[in-house]
Amino acid sequence: MSIRTSLHAITRVVAGFALAALVMAPGARAAEVNVYSIWPENWAKPMFEEFEKATGIKVNFVRFSSGEALARVIAEKNNPKIDVLFGGPVETFAAGINEGVFEPYKSPSFAKLPARFRHADGQWTAIADDPLVFMTNNKFLAENKLKPPASWQDLLDPAYKNGLQMADARTSGTAVTRIFSILEVNGRDADKAFAYMKKLRPNVQLYTKSGGGGTLPVGLGQAGGGIFFIVDALDTKAKGYDVSISFPKEGIGTSAEAIALIKGAKNPDTAKKLIDWATSAQMQGLFAKHKINFVPASPDVQIEPSLAAVLKDAKIFPIDDAYAGANRKKMVDRWVAEILP
Amino acid sequence: MVAAAAARPGFGARLRAEPAFAVALALLWVLLAFFILYPLAALIARVFVDQGQFTFAAIAKVLTDRNQVAAFRNSLWLGTLVGVGGTILGFVFAFAATRCRLAPAVVRAIDIAVLLPLVSPPFTTAIGYIFSFGPRGLITYDLLGIRGASVYGLTSTMTAETLTYFPIAYLTLRPMLAAIDSNIEGMALSLGASRARVFRTVTLPLCTPGLANAFLLLFAASLADFATPLILAGNQFPVLPTQAYLQITGLFDLSGGAALSLVLLVPALAVFLAQRFWVARRSYVTVTGKGAGQAPFDSVSPAARVVLVAACVAVTLFIVYLYALLVYASLVKAFGANDALTFEHYRAVFTEGLRVLFDTLVIAAFATPLGGLYGVVMGYLVTRRRFLGRTTLEIVSMIHYALPGTIVGIAYLIAFNDPPIVLTGTALILVACYVFRYGPTGIRTTMALLQQVDPSLEEASHSLGAGTGTTFRRITLPLVLPAFFAALGVMFIRSMTAISATIFLVSISWTLVTVRILENMTELRLGMAAAFSVVVVIIVFVVIGVIGQVLRRLRTPGSKPVTGLLAA
Repeated sequence: MSIRTSLHAITRVVAGFALAALVMAPGARAAEVNVYSIWPENWAKPMFEEFEKATGIKVNFVRFSSGEALARVIAEKNNPKIDVLFGGPVETFAAGINEGVFEPYKSPSFAKLPARFRHADGQWTAIADDPLVFMTNNKFLAENKLKPPASWQDLLDPAYKNGLQMADARTSGTAVTRIFSILEVNGRDADKAFAYMKKLRPNVQLYTKSGGGGTLPVGLGQAGGGIFFIVDALDTKAKGYDVSISFPKEGIGTSAEAIALIKGAKNPDTAKKLIDWATSAQMQGLFAKHKINFVPASPDVQIEPSLAAVLKDAKIFPIDDAYAGANRKKMVDRWVAEILP
Repeated sequence: MVAAAAARPGFGARLRAEPAFAVALALLWVLLAFFILYPLAALIARVFVDQGQFTFAAIAKVLTDRNQVAAFRNSLWLGTLVGVGGTILGFVFAFAATRCRLAPAVVRAIDIAVLLPLVSPPFTTAIGYIFSFGPRGLITYDLLGIRGASVYGLTSTMTAETLTYFPIAYLTLRPMLAAIDSNIEGMALSLGASRARVFRTVTLPLCTPGLANAFLLLFAASLADFATPLILAGNQFPVLPTQAYLQITGLFDLSGGAALSLVLLVPALAVFLAQRFWVARRSYVTVTGKGAGQAPFDSVSPAARVVLVAACVAVTLFIVYLYALLVYASLVKAFGANDALTFEHYRAVFTEGLRVLFDTLVIAAFATPLGGLYGVVMGYLVTRRRFLGRTTLEIVSMIHYALPGTIVGIAYLIAFNDPPIVLTGTALILVACYVFRYGPTGIRTTMALLQQVDPSLEEASHSLGAGTGTTFRRITLPLVLPAFFAALGVMFIRSMTAISATIFLVSISWTLVTVRILENMTELRLGMAAAFSVVVVIIVFVVIGVIGQVLRRLRTPGSKPVTGLLAA
């Protein structure tokens, strides 16, 4: 084969691909909605498939962790690519309100929800509740003759030295909820809270980018334990990893997971249908079926018995979103400056 | 060349005399302006302009922050270590493959193994590394019984990056070593020089451009890599790309992250310029052009041969081990907890993962030929032609390779999201990002190859009456063809595996397999992440194999087989 004929062959192949791409490019669909999901795909996908089944509306989505998703929504402000921001702790949504990226919308379920599950103007609405937990590796506990930690003080035990993994406050909503939990159990005394975090620092092996990033290392025993959202912790346990889930007696925070309509959405009607569906029992009643251990936000849905059993004696308090929204940046900056290095 | 340099015609004259050259040059400038300079300008504007006011605040904040200064130092140190270590390792492999007279089957096996880190998403090595060396790592805990081993930090990051990127050095150096006419070494030996002396005074100097090239590529790759440090560096060894990435994605601080990256651009450009002027002063022409056949002589002593081969085999086995872990993780229900054999992860890849595979392949199918073409044309122009702004053109073409991908991604997002030019959400933005970010590999390979061949070959063709087009087609093109196919290979590999820039450019309509793999890892679907990685590696190997076949057919009869990596 000469160079010339082979160049012709290459040209033909390229042209063929071009044609194929044109033919297969997504055409105009009748009813669809575009979504950034902060929930991991293994939870978001079954929900969206149920939504498609129920309404015939196709959901196109990509998953990003909360910080990334919000950064994109802000960057795309003048030319929104999506209609709905789905899932993720409310602190993320509070930051989005400051950037003016959401369009207020009140779904039919809105009025029924407790105040902490909705933004007063309808900038966001909660679709689930997600408490933090301590998760520890049982083999690690046995080797060090420890019980699952039952107090924030237990995590300061030198046995955990260089052995805990938890989320990095720069990227993860989980970390922000954790910091506000520590503030709360210290009576919102920031100096006291940061003194505790400083004492905890030598025991932290790694601050992970995503909230669930440390679950696998804890499951494998690479780390002794960590602080995670219950949904991630129970999923680790369900996969077969030998871990314990426990709660501190001083209490630990929970964060609402929210949904919001994007300002300038190109498909506002289907977007609203998705919000209506997600904020109601229609979606939240399906958590148990798909083994998703979020606590439902809708008062119409009963909490799954096995999940209720885990939470039975736990002292859990909500993070005040007004206080968190107002102090988020200050606390994260202080965490980066004082705790991280 | 003398004649060409003496008569430097104006653009108008050039256009009449060589319309193809003028058009190509103009087109390249337009593309570079549009896809490199414009997004960069948009990014810089973001750093230095705040609400219509010029400000140094963002840069000052970086330079006065002790943590960021430490990150800057760490990045330079890491890049240097990876650059030196990777170049040495790549040279050892290239030297062993071309000079140790290994059986072709052995060379092929080594080729395939060292290609593994290059053809898989960068963080897959890092994950295997953590499983092996963590506090309960398979090697540190289970094998050696070390308690409380620490896996996060400089050593791990450096090792994982070196293992990931040294194949780039191997790719660069091997064709170069193969292209050195071994008769020259043979002559030096027969004139009484010792093997060490031949190596020091003949082989090594001839490799200078390649070594410099390899160091530059590795240094740049390490500077730009955020995935490996993200997983392995821990919190005690921050590096700039990771800091910039976290600044942007976490703290929504676009100008802060952009400022960090501008700081990072300085060493990248400095190394690039130093290399240019250092290399430019040396002569490394083997006048005969391509070697005239592998002369049967031993340029390596038996003892050195044993050491070289042992080193290569050890590194190769370690890489194979890391990937065996990956395959294992893809075939069990839950790595480390449930070892039951299952194909469910592969089933998931070929059902719910099918769309993302298809998207990635389409993007790669466009980026690969365009990037290969871009690399060779640019490499040819800046090495063989004299024209105004040549150096500028070359430097501009290198910018996106030197810039951390995170920043390129954010720059594209800023530049192409708002009218007048809206490209976000399209396949074009991903293709363009790959072409201008990874095309430079082809440019540098082409340049290094052409620098080894004396321009007198082309001059002879000219003086025998052949036109520019004919000379290019008949003389230059066959010379650079190995570089073109190497560039195709690198483009395809990168299109299938890169993440740092394109993680910002994936959209509802077009998403990429690497982004999916990273997501899978964070959502505890390690099995699916591993299965995706294995599938990507297989696809890349098949395509590279086909490219190798084409290259083999292209070989004109009578000429020495070009032992380019892809033809092996």
